[in-house]
Amino acid sequence: MTRRARILLALRHALLVAIAIAMLTPFYWVLKTALTGENIYAYPPSLLPVNPHFYNFVDVWYLIPFPRYLLNSVVVSLLAVAGNLVLNSIAAYALTLPFRGRRAVLLLLLSCTLVPFQATIIPAYLITARLGLLNSYLGLALPLMSTIVCIFIFKAAFEAVPKSLIDAARIDGLNDLRILLRVLLPLSTPAIATNVVLAFIWSWNNFLWPLIITRDPNMQTLPLGLARFLSYMEDTTGALYAFVCMVLAPGLLVFLMAQASFMRGLTAGATKG
Amino acid sequence: MTLRRVLASRFFIVPAAIAAVTIGWNIYVSLHAHGLLSGRVIDAAGRPLANATVVLYTHDFVTQAEKERTKTDASGAFAFTDNDSHLIQLQALDGDRMSARVTIRLWFRAQDRELAAPLVIGAAG
Amino acid sequence: MTRALAWLHTRNARQAALVACFLTPSLLIFLLYRVLPLAWNVVLSFQAWSPLHPPVWIGWDNYDEMLHDDDVVWQALYNTLIFMASQGIGVVIALGIALLVNSDLKGASVYRTIVFLSYPLMTVAVAIIWRWMYNERGGLIDFVLRRLGVIDKPVAFLDSFGWALPSTIVANTWQVLGFFMIVLLTGLQSIPPHLYEAARVDGAPGWARLLRITLPMLRPSLFLCAVIGILNSFAAFDLVYVMTNGGPGHATELLITYIYKEAFNQSRFDYAAALTVAQFALLLFLAWLAHRAAGGNAGALE
Repeated sequence: MTRRARILLALRHALLVAIAIAMLTPFYWVLKTALTGENIYAYPPSLLPVNPHFYNFVDVWYLIPFPRYLLNSVVVSLLAVAGNLVLNSIAAYALTLPFRGRRAVLLLLLSCTLVPFQATIIPAYLITARLGLLNSYLGLALPLMSTIVCIFIFKAAFEAVPKSLIDAARIDGLNDLRILLRVLLPLSTPAIATNVVLAFIWSWNNFLWPLIITRDPNMQTLPLGLARFLSYMEDTTGALYAFVCMVLAPGLLVFLMAQASFMRGLTAGATKG
Repeated sequence: MTLRRVLASRFFIVPAAIAAVTIGWNIYVSLHAHGLLSGRVIDAAGRPLANATVVLYTHDFVTQAEKERTKTDASGAFAFTDNDSHLIQLQALDGDRMSARVTIRLWFRAQDRELAAPLVIGAAG
Repeated sequence: MTRALAWLHTRNARQAALVACFLTPSLLIFLLYRVLPLAWNVVLSFQAWSPLHPPVWIGWDNYDEMLHDDDVVWQALYNTLIFMASQGIGVVIALGIALLVNSDLKGASVYRTIVFLSYPLMTVAVAIIWRWMYNERGGLIDFVLRRLGVIDKPVAFLDSFGWALPSTIVANTWQVLGFFMIVLLTGLQSIPPHLYEAARVDGAPGWARLLRITLPMLRPSLFLCAVIGILNSFAAFDLVYVMTNGGPGHATELLITYIYKEAFNQSRFDYAAALTVAQFALLLFLAWLAHRAAGGNAGALE
């Protein structure tokens, strides 16, 4: 490697390291605040945690209904993921079959990608109220149970299965549901993984919808609990930052475990609408 | 997917590890959560103070409340047996002299704790 | 009649029934939560809604009020457009990072993960993190600026009329950068290398290769980034609500936060619906503009 190329490479790495540090600094700053034992409003703030301790996390666990918020978030996310898997897989399978009006349905779905959730909040609230689902787990999970991106991910995976396998299954006398369950889904595990991760993360991070439809503090999900805590306890306690760390941990964990699936899902033309 | 592959995949190992830690922690907590708080009170010269009052305050983010009082025995030792909070303060009183308020933060509610440093009632409150 | 009955027993009929069954649940949700709300918004915008009695048709009154009697909506529109324009800066930075990280650089995947890390996180948490970063006493930004001597008194970024919106934009860019980078990386990696080879053989310098080959081939990815940027600025409720709640005054009020406040704080569903219709129309117009700018090739959504 020429000397010039070596210098350029070193420069490249240096730049990337600087960018990486810039991207990670906010995380570090909040973590340091959650762990530090000094008064967090003292100026100048220290760069390292002073007398670090974990007691802020204990405070968050007991003095905030964190377990309750966690439970709510988990239940809603599980509902959303389950609904996603079931509803989207059968819809995607139906879309791989030839039928009249298929193109119309596809067009309808594609055009829905441009409709962001935020453009529908008022009627969605009214509809959910009419259905009697306000303030319920099902009401929280329902709008998230079927998304266009997930349908298309499944559809692409199903269409990638060789037709010969499907035909062979049909000849064996399997009906369509069995074909879906026994042949297509087992061969589409990456698509399933992608959809599970996408549905989980979208539901876990969802803030506006729970904000609109929960009335009871016991039904609040984690993002809502976090925002409420901020508005009650604004700037008076460092436990807020421990709360933030505890809230981010599951999301980080899921992301780090399922990175490949997540990125695959995003590049499949994902726009969360 | 063979059983071996499932067991070795990170989607099994990570949740299993988390579950194991959670269960282990809960077992530890249930073994050590009797609400016992014990310590000693001494005066400025280091002599144990008998019959001093010790006050237990429980805290949350914004409020504090006195929960209980107890007296030290002949050797200056005291004990609370039904503490159910994790954020508490102790203060010793003797007549009109008081010790400093000592903040105790526990890892879980009703954790048994024996204070390492005694409460010191000095000349000035 | 008997022919219809006979058809019902055919395989085609069974398959049609199956397709209907399989499609219905998903379509029902889309109908309920996408199609119907769009239509209902339009209807609501022409009515006077109240929780106490049935809605009354009032024609264009809501739009009249929006255009003539409302100052906040223009501020919100202006803020939203600024927010959208700033997404372009994010795309440029992301392009730079993508170019740096492209190719078999050692540790490229680590850098990619670090840059992307913030995207799948809860926006509420990101907002609180950045609120803390901007805090006058405990925040890193004021501390660094004072240490470097750029300012000598702490600046309350989120409370100042001039700095609040740029501050939220910085936070949003930090979160969205990873996504833009991934989209652009995917686009970069689909450019056939022989194009570069040919250019190098022809003696074209590096920056010319960038302009003439990379950027045109990245058009679909850039279009996707533009659409995401537009959608993001119409949807950035979580960040703004938690960071500044539209304040100070209405300095960071976006259209979406204004819609939320009118609908759910003031209970003016009808007016908020009119705002939503206007916002959605603007969104469609901008998406169409982006489509034209991309050369009419919205293609590559994969």
